[in-house]
Amino acid sequence: MAFYEVYSHPALIRYRSSVCTKATLFAVVALCLTYIPPLLVAYRSQFWLKTSTYEEQPVVRFQYEAILIATTSAQGEYVAWSTFPHFNHLVGARLRIPALSQVREEDDNQDGKLDRLLLEMQLPLRVEEQLYSLQLLLTFSYQLFRMSTVAMQSLACVHYSSAVPGAQLFISGDLRLQQRAPLPHRGLYNIYNVSVIDSSSPFASAYEFDDIIRKYQQRNTTLLSTAMPVWKPGRAPTAPFMLRAEIHYSTETIYRPGFWETIKFAWIQYVSVLLVFLWVFQRIQTFVFEKQLLTTVPGEPAHHHKLH
Amino acid sequence: MSAVSSLVPARFLTIIAHLVIVITIFWSRDSNVKACLPLEYTQEQYEEEDKKLVVGLSVTLGLFAIELAGFFSGVSMFNCSQGLLSIGVHASASVALLFYLFEQWECSVYWWILAICSVLPACVEITLFIAVFGFKKKAS
Repeated sequence: MAFYEVYSHPALIRYRSSVCTKATLFAVVALCLTYIPPLLVAYRSQFWLKTSTYEEQPVVRFQYEAILIATTSAQGEYVAWSTFPHFNHLVGARLRIPALSQVREEDDNQDGKLDRLLLEMQLPLRVEEQLYSLQLLLTFSYQLFRMSTVAMQSLACVHYSSAVPGAQLFISGDLRLQQRAPLPHRGLYNIYNVSVIDSSSPFASAYEFDDIIRKYQQRNTTLLSTAMPVWKPGRAPTAPFMLRAEIHYSTETIYRPGFWETIKFAWIQYVSVLLVFLWVFQRIQTFVFEKQLLTTVPGEPAHHHKLH
Repeated sequence: MSAVSSLVPARFLTIIAHLVIVITIFWSRDSNVKACLPLEYTQEQYEEEDKKLVVGLSVTLGLFAIELAGFFSGVSMFNCSQGLLSIGVHASASVALLFYLFEQWECSVYWWILAICSVLPACVEITLFIAVFGFKKKAS
């Protein structure tokens, strides 16, 4: 009384043929058509992974270096200040030292990496002076550790100009990584670990804003500050100019993946298309050889484990 | 043989599919001709490439006529290897020409498809013609 299937196993039939027959030719053609088309299909769209992204909160530290230039009249008179003694010396009579009431970096989520820079300074102005524009350069050091170790010195540029003289400027922005080329996936990447402004140079050319910005933008990896400025006009004659800046440090990086990661993704793509082709050609070959459309010598159905 | 009799409709369908795509390309060969030419082209260059493609397509139709003649007359209808070859080659031609039409491949690709997928079965067909009518071999 055999009512249900307890167990089953396949019986293997081998079809043999000599080398120069139509059956061998058919088998070779089927082999080529099984293993090569998946490669072509997978190649059509992004086979080798060239770039990939990952998220990491960088270790950003404000270097406490700044250069400030503010235009105080519509004719272009300006005052300036910086943390570099040579620059202050070169500026001479136009030096105006602001009062820094707050410079601090905060770590909101207490993970050991700073999240924000809060900067507040008051620039004293004479009664007849009116502030029309402001340019501020701040330097930071930027480090990443997860994939390759990246260490670089970078710049945040705050710039605002208005036809209306102002009393207060509030800037809130993000420091984003700007890349022209993907980062490597391992190793040390510190070619930009030189300070952006050469503080030891006594020459004025070292502190020219356009030179600094031009050399900085030639780098492949820089920081970009996307700032939203708020300019409040209407300064009381004796009040100083208030500058408040909040700069957030943000995440996300693009890198070039390594050899094994590329191979892993390529293998996934290849095998998933290969399975379809294997199934199709297995059906075709079973039909052709079982029905003896091409003459071969079939062997006895063999069991997988011979017991004798 | 029952297996061969299931090859016959498969062979017929693949030949007709290939034929349909060739006729479709005949009618909408404009974008394929433009894919062969550089961005700036003159009308003479266009006419020349167009003529070449038309010649290729006409040769294909001629070879189809040979193969269909052999198939319908029974010379190669029951021949297993010619049946398998014909099915394989016309199926790949259909897929390749589909890509040729939709992806706007350039003209040189068409000559390869023609050589492998139209000339080959037609040659085997002619050989079978000679074998059956010339040497009186049985068309099994």
